[in-house]
Amino acid sequence: MQKTNRSNRVLRFSPFALAKLVYLRDIGPTEIGGFGISNADDLLLIEDIQLVRQTCSVTSVEFDDASVADFFDSQVDAGRQPEQFARVWVHTHPGASPSPSQTDEETFSRCFGGVDWAVMHILAEEGNTYTRARFNVGPGTDRRLRCRTILDCEFPGTDHDQWFEEYRDNVTIDDPFASRRSLTDRYDDTDWWQQPPTAADLWSDRLFEVGR
Amino acid sequence: MKVLLISNDAGGYAHHVEAPDNTTVQQMFERHVGAFHADSYLIRVNRQPAAADQVLRDGDRVSFTPQKIEGAA
Repeated sequence: MQKTNRSNRVLRFSPFALAKLVYLRDIGPTEIGGFGISNADDLLLIEDIQLVRQTCSVTSVEFDDASVADFFDSQVDAGRQPEQFARVWVHTHPGASPSPSQTDEETFSRCFGGVDWAVMHILAEEGNTYTRARFNVGPGTDRRLRCRTILDCEFPGTDHDQWFEEYRDNVTIDDPFASRRSLTDRYDDTDWWQQPPTAADLWSDRLFEVGR
Repeated sequence: MKVLLISNDAGGYAHHVEAPDNTTVQQMFERHVGAFHADSYLIRVNRQPAAADQVLRDGDRVSFTPQKIEGAA
């Protein structure tokens, strides 16, 4: 991590990472979550956002445990260390408030309380953000961070097709008003040999047009 | 023997570590994470869920990853 106090108080996103996070926030009707992928030499610079399989509602997101483990495996195979891919937990909120809920706080303590440091970043639907770092070494402390997008870096272009595929492959919508039966149960009745539906399976073709 | 340990705990692990022969999953967990509280982690060996008493073998890949990551508005 960089040593200056100034840079330690700011979580920075590359334009690519921020554009992808905003795209993923807006492409569907639910919250989404993922992990920030940090620059190897600057861990508070986020260069990408990666989803894992998750079940999402308008007000919640729950990662699939096996998919989290698969994510760790794939990132290690790509040559990254956990501090690069598993320390910045990102998710979205509906509406205007990015303030963490009790569930957010419990997850941050339970799942990230054993690491030297971690960051919780929340992006609300209306653009407000909440970012907080927790340092678990020594006496331990929490610190609010600012959030910035930096432009003076190399970054790839947007890729909505790839982002939409990533969304489609990972996000399953939990709509409590659609049916009392689980999506898996409904699916089992008809096409039991296939995987449960993802978001794209459940939406109209119009959504694909929006996604493009 | 050497096993590839993947864990986010403390400073994080993603490298090969030495372990005595016949080390179990639980012993590896306690050595690198702490007191055995498996309910907080998904523990896998070679990408498959593993029991606490599973004996590790040279070349195994062991991962301790967080469970129940969830958020809510």
